[in-house]
Amino acid sequence: MTAHIIPPLNPPLPFPDRAPLLRAEGLTRGFKGRGGLLGRGHEVLALRGVDFALARGEAVGVVGESGCGKSTLARVLLHLTPASAGRVLFDGQDLARLPRRQLRALRRRMQLVFQDPFASLDPRRSIGDQIADGILIHHLAAPAEAQARVADLLAQVGLDPAHAGRLPHEFSGGQRQRIAIARALSTDPDVLVADEPVSALDVSVQAQVVNLLKDLRTRLGLGLIFISHDLHVVRHLCDRVVVMYLGRVVEEAPAAALFAQPRHPYTQALLAATPSMHAAPGARAVLSGEMPSPANPPSGCAFRTRCARAQPACAEALPELLPAGPGRRLACPPALADLAHGAAHA
Amino acid sequence: MSASLASPRFHRLVLPGALLALVLLTVAAAPLLPLADPVKQQVSERLSTPSLGHLLGQDEYGRDVFSRIIWGGRVSLSVSILAAACAGLIGTLLGLVGGYFRGVVELMSVRLAEVVLCFPPMLLALLVVTLLGPGAVTLVLVLTILFTPGYARVAYAETLSARTLDYVTAQTALGATSARVLFRTVLPNIAPPLLVQFSLTVAAAMMLESGLSFLGLGVVPPSPSWGLMIRSARSVMEQAPLLLLWPCLALAGTVLLLNVVCDRLRDVMDPRGAAMGVIPGFLRRARSAALPQATTEPAPSLVRIDNLTLSLKTPAGPLNVVRGVSFGVAPGETVALVGESGSGKTLTALAVMGLLPPVVTPAGGSIRFSRRDGTVADLLHLPEGQMRRLRGNDLSIIFQDPSASLNPVHRCGKQVAEAIRAHGGGMTGEGSARAAKAKVVALFRRVGLPDPERRAGAFPHELSGGQKQRVMIAAAVANTPRLLIADEPTTALDVTVQAQILDLLADLKGESGSGRGQEGKDTEGKDTTGMGLLFVTHNLAVVRQIADKVVVMYAGEVVEEGPVAEVFARPRHPYTAALLASAPESEAEELTAIPGTVPSPAALPPGCRFAPRCGFATPACDSTPPASIEVAPGRIARCIRWMEVA
Repeated sequence: MTAHIIPPLNPPLPFPDRAPLLRAEGLTRGFKGRGGLLGRGHEVLALRGVDFALARGEAVGVVGESGCGKSTLARVLLHLTPASAGRVLFDGQDLARLPRRQLRALRRRMQLVFQDPFASLDPRRSIGDQIADGILIHHLAAPAEAQARVADLLAQVGLDPAHAGRLPHEFSGGQRQRIAIARALSTDPDVLVADEPVSALDVSVQAQVVNLLKDLRTRLGLGLIFISHDLHVVRHLCDRVVVMYLGRVVEEAPAAALFAQPRHPYTQALLAATPSMHAAPGARAVLSGEMPSPANPPSGCAFRTRCARAQPACAEALPELLPAGPGRRLACPPALADLAHGAAHA
Repeated sequence: MSASLASPRFHRLVLPGALLALVLLTVAAAPLLPLADPVKQQVSERLSTPSLGHLLGQDEYGRDVFSRIIWGGRVSLSVSILAAACAGLIGTLLGLVGGYFRGVVELMSVRLAEVVLCFPPMLLALLVVTLLGPGAVTLVLVLTILFTPGYARVAYAETLSARTLDYVTAQTALGATSARVLFRTVLPNIAPPLLVQFSLTVAAAMMLESGLSFLGLGVVPPSPSWGLMIRSARSVMEQAPLLLLWPCLALAGTVLLLNVVCDRLRDVMDPRGAAMGVIPGFLRRARSAALPQATTEPAPSLVRIDNLTLSLKTPAGPLNVVRGVSFGVAPGETVALVGESGSGKTLTALAVMGLLPPVVTPAGGSIRFSRRDGTVADLLHLPEGQMRRLRGNDLSIIFQDPSASLNPVHRCGKQVAEAIRAHGGGMTGEGSARAAKAKVVALFRRVGLPDPERRAGAFPHELSGGQKQRVMIAAAVANTPRLLIADEPTTALDVTVQAQILDLLADLKGESGSGRGQEGKDTEGKDTTGMGLLFVTHNLAVVRQIADKVVVMYAGEVVEEGPVAEVFARPRHPYTAALLASAPESEAEELTAIPGTVPSPAALPPGCRFAPRCGFATPACDSTPPASIEVAPGRIARCIRWMEVA
């Protein structure tokens, strides 16, 4: 059912000299919707043909509103939720085809940090034990040396190594998120997927965690997939940004270019709606309506129901993600036409 | 598990634990104790009353009752504990595996165990006894079979909810094997309900053992068991009623003891500890009404909070979580109450509504509110009945999570109509339902719900998050409140929807200022009629968009107050300045983070609460908490170095 929505496979890479470490092709993931008393629920697609690539050491931001499929994308990329269609290649290996044992071994190289630091730590085990898990599972150190490694990791994320014996509830939200990051780093991963890692944190500690991630990236050469609804944070941390709407990528561009010149009407609306501390209150371009239900997406371009630039043609064909400038791709025919028009004039 | 042995929770376990240990030891040591032979008959002494030689008397065959209780407990307890343990082990395993792997495994484990539930227990017991003959071993087997499905179901349900938790997913992501995930992570976390189930099962098994023995299907006479003793005592109940009392007492006492021990054990195992006891709301109101009344001060134009102190009940004694908070909201004004989690901003807002959680009580100060009829009331000391008349009428509130604040089983329109009719709304008696319906549709139109007639008949789950929040706003403004409190109303919403809701709130406030001429009593100037809005949030950018005045809270105190534009341009408290600088909007390469964390109310710094994290701190800051200083007209800062900030 998804064959027609898989565009050609050559996602642009900002680091052309580096082969993609993680690559996803035509990812689709459906969930069983709830049916009525008798009828069977039809499938709700959280991802509808997403291509994705991450180079070694690159930081990619995935932004969009709730329900756009960004969290599902995180889990599918790590094969924590299998894809219904499409495949994920990590270092050239198809995760879905790997035998269990090899998949478990490969998990060492890709780790996940969750949104809610109050839910992501086991409340009944000391934080030291939880950080040591990854080390012991993958035999990265002898059990006797694991404690030293845990202390080292705690120090790396800015926590007191003497606190390794404490339980999670003795820490604040920001500290817990550091513990979760230390746990993810325990296996010495190549890629860290962070699913809204700062949105549950207090404003004054958000910056601490963002700076920590940034620092770890440069220090450890970590690849980062940063999922967020906060455009400001993404801009701060990422090399490249992917904007999603209703299970599809609508725009993809280097971070600086995207914020300077958003091309997709949705990206523009998203940027306009984000409240700013510097702008005085006043008229903002407020997008009307809300994201349609993924159970019943509009035909053609999913954004057309809220789009100021929608044309009759938008309802007919699914817009393809096409190249739009250096390192940029865009799925909006009217905007692409503008671009071509502008180029012709220049 | 890691709870310290010296903790008060552990102390609560000591007494029932020791008693249970005593019971178990006594029955285990029965052969060693100097007891009379429990089966030795002395027919001449039958049914004799308690004496020194026979402490609890003798039964219908002249056997010593005390000795039989202890020997009988040996059988009853060992059978029921063994059966509960076997059932627990098998059931937990089945439930754990079935709930974690689902699919075929679930069918083979949990569903198969549930087949047992289809048979009447007595019938099943009869069947097994007929096949294997009565006796203690048969009893254990029967009871295990009977209680396994119960365990399996509890373990299954718990596993099902635990398997999707983030920390379980994290284990999978780390590359742990399923066995490791199940036994290291899932099992310890589903243990508490299983423990409770164990105490219930032992109790039920003891009852059932007694019942089966009573029917002659369990322990074979003459060896004693509590069930057999009850059975035989029944036949001589009229001559010797005490004979019935002793085994019943033993049975009930042991069951009770077991329940208490398991409950306390569960509390000890919970890393966060048990909940505190609380006083019901109506009693609390009555009690706080006894506090001294506020003195006569000039009437506030709308609401004035003075020196508000709120205290949290903790096992270690009361803790003041909000201290000396003072600020006011004028009619037509939007005041943003900003702070991080634990700053006390939400508690302050709830105190205005009189909706404080049961563990928090007002410990001082006043909240003076000028009512629609012009009288001034102290909301902190108002009796619950009067407070209820204000809520949803003069005062109303919108909460953070619209999905949690709408009742899922009632239609949206009905819930809003409820709010209108609760305060009369000028429509009682005939035709009131229709009038309310019309008013709801008008309200829905006013809050920008598309197709208001249809939405009024919709259930909350049929609406999106933004639409639900619009319904909540419609209910809140239904009776044209004088003060609307919005507690993080957009935090749960997407940015594009957040922008819409902020616009709506601004519109409603604008309307309230101009379109309420009919109110009559307080129409001296247009400013006195507008709705005041108290907007609680942690998002500074939102504050900038919507508020006139901002009140910044930190660790339970107001640290800065002033007009939004001025505070944002020139903050006078280092915390405000740091918050503004740490927002990721700036172009700087490295974000300015505030070091450290918000202090816990139990361990506040002795001087300025912000001093340990403050770049401006001097030794003087650590000695005494700074007072609030009026740094300019309408601007307050709680910092001794305010002049040097920004």
